[in-house]
Amino acid sequence: MGLHGYLVLWCGVFGALALVGYGRSLAGMTRAQRTVRAKGRIERVDVPRHGSSPREGISVVVSFQDPATGQEFTVTNDGECGDLIDVAWTGREIGVHYPPGRPHAFRFAGHRAEGGRGLAWPTFALFLVYAGPVAVAAIERGWPWALVGFCGPWALSGLYHLPGNMRDRNRRLDELAGMACVPGRVVAVLKSVSTDDDGHTSTRLVPVVTFTTLDGRAVTAYCESGLPDPAGSRGLDVPVHYAPEDPAVFTLDVGSMRRSWQWDKAVNVVGVLIVAAAAVVGAVML
Amino acid sequence: MTISTGPLPPTHRTPVALARGFLTGSVVGTSLAALVVGGVVESVPLFVAGLVLPAVYGLLFVLAGSPRRAREAAVVPRTALAVIESRTVVGGESSDVPVRFELTVAPDAGPAYRVEVTQDVNVVDLPDYRPRGVVVVRYPPDRPWQVRIVKRPTPEWEERAASARLDPAPEAARAVAPAEVRGVGFVGLLGLLIGAAAVVLLFSSDLSGRDDAAKPPSASRPSVSSTSSTTVVSSVSGTVALGPGRSYLDEGEPDRALDTLAQGGGALRALTVVVQERTLSVVFAPAGTQAPGFDPRALPYDRFPALVEEAATGLAVRSPRTWQLTAEGLTGSLVIRIVVTGAEGTASLEADGRGNVVRREPPR
Repeated sequence: MGLHGYLVLWCGVFGALALVGYGRSLAGMTRAQRTVRAKGRIERVDVPRHGSSPREGISVVVSFQDPATGQEFTVTNDGECGDLIDVAWTGREIGVHYPPGRPHAFRFAGHRAEGGRGLAWPTFALFLVYAGPVAVAAIERGWPWALVGFCGPWALSGLYHLPGNMRDRNRRLDELAGMACVPGRVVAVLKSVSTDDDGHTSTRLVPVVTFTTLDGRAVTAYCESGLPDPAGSRGLDVPVHYAPEDPAVFTLDVGSMRRSWQWDKAVNVVGVLIVAAAAVVGAVML
Repeated sequence: MTISTGPLPPTHRTPVALARGFLTGSVVGTSLAALVVGGVVESVPLFVAGLVLPAVYGLLFVLAGSPRRAREAAVVPRTALAVIESRTVVGGESSDVPVRFELTVAPDAGPAYRVEVTQDVNVVDLPDYRPRGVVVVRYPPDRPWQVRIVKRPTPEWEERAASARLDPAPEAARAVAPAEVRGVGFVGLLGLLIGAAAVVLLFSSDLSGRDDAAKPPSASRPSVSSTSSTTVVSSVSGTVALGPGRSYLDEGEPDRALDTLAQGGGALRALTVVVQERTLSVVFAPAGTQAPGFDPRALPYDRFPALVEEAATGLAVRSPRTWQLTAEGLTGSLVIRIVVTGAEGTASLEADGRGNVVRREPPR
């Protein structure tokens, strides 16, 4: 079997997988489509113990109602329960996802998005189908085909999404400008020590800051940036800037975050330009 | 609830577990051997098969296990109180250390039972898990030995644990996991060896051909191999020297030597063949030219001992002697010249291509 034989096999297998995936999505059978998305509410927040592990998130008690049966559930984030809860306050709404009929298998979701249609894997399979002929063309006809084949669509996608990305970054910069400032306090520093196979020990320190918003919400949050000496920061009073509409968006250093978002904008533009330039070079060299 | 006084014996799962172990071992052995052999013999289909086979098997393995996983996931876990009978930190160098707990689990409905579990606990939280302390646990009702301590119980269970007093369960009431099927590792290893051996045997001819092809004649650098004989081959000549105790007068030795020289590729055409007691040299006819040459295999090797004996007529039988046989076809017809040298002198004769003596010279 020659190169083209393998290409046909490659495209056939991944094309079939993509078709199955899209078919399941159309029929509403994907896991993402069948997942029950309930709205949870944080009923209680416990301040973490100083020196304990940051891996399990801030200890919370969450209540939610199963939309199918109306039954109320009260749960905690003990063990593997989906997204890590690193910002919490009593009354905060949080996503709770679970397979239909199995609320005991719940997972927390930091965002309240409705969820997709389960098209990620079929789309990845479709990309592999596309990548096969491009790779063969690059092997048989030269590397410019790889540049055109891969960077071309990438550049088009980047150009398509660039305006939206810019609007998002500008919104975040505006959000920074409208942040409220309140006093906060580092109440604990969480510590995680791990040793790899070679015996190297790595330590992760996560300060926990608490602050009360202007409308009275007592927020407890992990704060991994903005403190010069995390290990000795326990008991430190710090000014906290937060977005009034969502205290989960907060920072100790507004200037640093502004610079970070501006850099992000520049990297977005430069990245799209580089990919587009690569595609143009490939097209010229054909 | 399954409470027993010892490990549950493996029952109907035994043949399935053994077959699965054997199959897994076979797939691992086959795919690894296919990758290696495919790389050595430069067979793309075999190499690809070595990659695809474990992927397909893994997919089938996952699909076959999905009903069981779905069944287990559908089981609503049960929450209960438990008392810590003892605890042992069993090691660990990180901040989360594995701790072995001996627990008495007291379900709301059903008898209390003992179970041993190992769970990671942060060193800072260790004081929360003292012996005789009451904790909240969770387990699937159909697998009571899979107990997990709930580190963050709900307020309701927190209050119950704070006010509960539990008695230890008798040692006899112990929940234990079913025993592992014995021999799975052994049959897995057996499958691995059989799978690997099957691939190697199936492609043994390609592998041996590969070994031989690794010694082609080269114009720039002669190749040398060393076994019981030594072969030196270049584009213009080839020599095969025998090891001690062997002679080109022995039956089959010249044919073996010529086979060795011919493995570099194609038929042999020789300008000259020189044979001594333990050395056979062939001067190859230049390829693609009209130079006169002959097939060295066509020489009457079975006549060589007799010709050497005949050439040595007149020399002392027991005295040490050497002989050399030269065959050449430069004049058109094949001429074989045999020279034997002994203590008394040198004798020679000439024979034709069929080994018939045409001229003899007595010792001088």
